[in-house]
Amino acid sequence: MIEAEGAGDGRYHVVILGGGTAGWMTAAGLARRLPRDAYRITLIESDAIGTVGVGEATLPHIKQFNDMLGLDEAKFMAATRATFKLGIEFCDWDRPGDRYIHPFGAFGEPWGGVQFQHHWRRLGAAGREVAPFQAYSYAVAAARAEVFELPSEDPASIRSTYSYAYHFDSSRYAAFLRDWAKARGVTRIEGKVAAVERGGDSAAIAALTMQSGTRIAGDLFVDCSGFRSLLLGGELGVGWEDWRHWLPCDRALAVACEHPDGQALTPYTRATARRGGWQWRIPLQHRIGNGYIFPSEFTSEDEAHDALLAQLDGAPCGAPRLLRFMPGRRTSAWTGNCVAIGLASGFLEPLESTSIFLIQAAVTDLIDLMPRPGAPDPRLADEFNRLNAMHHDRVRDFLILHYVANRREGEPLWDHLRTMPVPDSLAHKIALFRARGTAPDYQFGLFSRDSWLAVLYGQGVVPAGHDPVADTFDVDLVDARCADFHDRIASGVALMRPHRAFIESYCPADEEVAA
Amino acid sequence: MTMQVVIVGRDTALWLTAAALRQALAPAGVAVTAVELPSRLSPASVHAALPALEALHAKLGLDEAAVLGATRGSFTLGFNIAPPGGGAPFFLAHGAYGAPIEGGDFFPYWLKARRFGLDAALEDFSATAMAARHGRMMLPDAETEAFGRTDYGYHLPAIAYAAMLKRLALRLGVTMRQAVTIAVERDPIQGSICGVRSDGGDPITGDLFIDASGAEAVLIGDAPGVGCEDWRSYFPLDRRLVAQAPRFASLPVYAEVRADARSWTALHAAQDATHVVHCYTGNEESDEAALAAAARRAGLPLDGAVATPTAPARRLDGWSGNCVAIGAAACAFDPLFEVDLHAVQLGIVHLLSLFPVGEDAAAERAEYNRITTSLFERIRDFQAAFYALAMASQAPKTLAHRIAAFRARGIIAPMEDDSFPVDQWRALFTGLGLPAESWPPAIDDTPPEAIKQGLRRILGFVKRKVLEQPTHDAYLADLGGKAA
Repeated sequence: MIEAEGAGDGRYHVVILGGGTAGWMTAAGLARRLPRDAYRITLIESDAIGTVGVGEATLPHIKQFNDMLGLDEAKFMAATRATFKLGIEFCDWDRPGDRYIHPFGAFGEPWGGVQFQHHWRRLGAAGREVAPFQAYSYAVAAARAEVFELPSEDPASIRSTYSYAYHFDSSRYAAFLRDWAKARGVTRIEGKVAAVERGGDSAAIAALTMQSGTRIAGDLFVDCSGFRSLLLGGELGVGWEDWRHWLPCDRALAVACEHPDGQALTPYTRATARRGGWQWRIPLQHRIGNGYIFPSEFTSEDEAHDALLAQLDGAPCGAPRLLRFMPGRRTSAWTGNCVAIGLASGFLEPLESTSIFLIQAAVTDLIDLMPRPGAPDPRLADEFNRLNAMHHDRVRDFLILHYVANRREGEPLWDHLRTMPVPDSLAHKIALFRARGTAPDYQFGLFSRDSWLAVLYGQGVVPAGHDPVADTFDVDLVDARCADFHDRIASGVALMRPHRAFIESYCPADEEVAA
Repeated sequence: MTMQVVIVGRDTALWLTAAALRQALAPAGVAVTAVELPSRLSPASVHAALPALEALHAKLGLDEAAVLGATRGSFTLGFNIAPPGGGAPFFLAHGAYGAPIEGGDFFPYWLKARRFGLDAALEDFSATAMAARHGRMMLPDAETEAFGRTDYGYHLPAIAYAAMLKRLALRLGVTMRQAVTIAVERDPIQGSICGVRSDGGDPITGDLFIDASGAEAVLIGDAPGVGCEDWRSYFPLDRRLVAQAPRFASLPVYAEVRADARSWTALHAAQDATHVVHCYTGNEESDEAALAAAARRAGLPLDGAVATPTAPARRLDGWSGNCVAIGAAACAFDPLFEVDLHAVQLGIVHLLSLFPVGEDAAAERAEYNRITTSLFERIRDFQAAFYALAMASQAPKTLAHRIAAFRARGIIAPMEDDSFPVDQWRALFTGLGLPAESWPPAIDDTPPEAIKQGLRRILGFVKRKVLEQPTHDAYLADLGGKAA
């Protein structure tokens, strides 16, 4: 048997299995934050195993992760062919023909301790002419105008009321992080794992043996092997909480297509509801990522294939790839000395671009809870699992909202979704909004109150009332403030550059792509 | 259309609720009737208000100088706690501990430095705690804001405070009725309250009824099937005695809690008296013995003692039908840290933000019950931490998790709806001797010299800032002058 290089040097050895986005984000995060004299990081990946690139659209939080690493934004964007993202446009979700944007930003501003949506609804109830709720978001207006500028840091400016994320090529992001991590001491081992060796008490994983015969012993194993979850699910047999009764989609067909000439570069992701599922559209600098997500119980692969290809903006680059998945999460993502991150720990469809956020949250928590040399500490795992469950459960409720609040009547899939039972935690949130326009507001995890408002209103959930305190404000004054906010959005957006022009001056992709 | 709110209750919970609802909702056409039951306060009763109360006062237009003038209360920067077993006293401050070192959270650096021989206690890095130890205020300014949170609460003699709130409520247009006994009239089919009859008089009708009557819960306790969750297994002491002592010549700007393995005594300074609270176990100690023990521990002559049983419990549905419980009617807390007033405030704030807009308030009710449950459980956990660590009591599950996570890594597991900031949890755990066995390894890259420099910088700042502050006595006198 051949021992891997560096074995037994006394440092705590973290072995990451799998080199997709999850694997390399974990490797980069740990390499950045853990002292190198105490921790050694190895990542095993095989060029023969493909990675799942569904996480091409992100949330604004990723900027914090990149900033923690110290990445140069323009360089990272050029290398990953990235574009900016101000939100997600949802088309035809409530009823065919309807559209709304879930923006990365606030709706209006609170006045006198009362949230904006109550003032807005009260104006309407008082017979004043008000613009649609969507019109009071700077990010929505900028997205619709297909323009972009970096937000202002001056909190008094209306241009501070939005944030942004990216669309990027996730395999290029993984490659970018791989170079970054390798330059900072992460060892990459190429090849496939042949066997998992258990420790003396058999609860722990002791080592992985590669097909080449090399044995890689470790203290902590991070399972980033994707859906297959070779270590946590496969070897340790940790259970999976199945959420298909709430989120029935379990297949996706993905294909990239060309940018048609002359089309503007949209600074937002698009998710379009279709008869048998929904379709994503993610604009990158050099192409557009597309996919069709569907439940195999309702929609055949052939139907999905035809539906996807019928609605591409440009010529497809190759044949669509089929992905199979099961929505849900591991009952405990950290068990013994094995932690699952990414799809091995849970899967939620990319409807709200949460995959990379969930990886980021797990990496951040793992950094804080990283064991020190010695026996594994179940107390650290308990806290990790509590946080991991909280993140997944909160995203889950938000996703289900898009499905349950639909009025696509007469379509079997959507009729089913409208009438399915939902988690109590979500039923409560919807009932409260319906009753009085109060949206969820919590401190930890996704999503913010403004996000909930965007989707609740967007999906056609209409409150029957508003905070009665809103009625105590002078109606003319509130009307004027709303109008002023609306005007400030318009004048701000008018000064922004087209998204494509901004990208071309800020972070154009390298020559080799254009060629 | 006028909506009628009827509040049945007594003392602070009644009048704070009445004033806050009337102030916020009068322009929306809400009429408030307060049905006042006989007071349960004694001259010794005191509130130890948390910093959050200032915001509610501001909403009510209550000026700080006027409040302290009318109540003869004082400021407080926190609690000085002498734990059982003769351990070193520690300060539980209303302000922050430390400031970032190398852009990172202070606390892990302190943990590590202690492991490597640092002498300075956690509280030495808190401007608020150090000011309190020196008898000085800690007033926020631009410099302290950049350093970390500095906050203060109040000691408010309860009779005077309730009287002041009553005057305010009446001035705001609250209608008052007085009653000794209350009979509740319910809709025979729906079970909702249609009216309350005081002392056999005409019924007082309303749309929404609020029970602010304390643990007796004269309205909501009368509702069929509204059960309580018993918390006594977390709280080993079952009697509270309050008494008065002469005022301190120079007023401490904090409360003092002195404990042994089976009781504790708290001293709250105010301008005219010192308010003493003593908690003990009824079947181990008679009230007379408890009074003697309290006097001995306080080192002060005690007067006007009143003893009452305590039985911590949370009502499962604080809002049931058209009746909302606020204060001890919703949740009876252990007397430690005098959290009752804060619980009243939380009930008011959330009732206001969920004030019913339709006939059927099912959604509001569910949300109110969800959020107050969460809020009250976090407060309970904070109190229970003292008993779990100082008196080896049973810890609720959520607290046991937090204790385990702190032991393992020195972290406070983040939880929603926490009334106490992370720094206070850290100070409580640390002060009660809960060891943190490790810290996040990510800080181990910081050179020791940078850590030392950071620690020195903070100590220097704290020292300088404390000396800039007025003494509590001088500040109160000055405030009194302004109020006059």
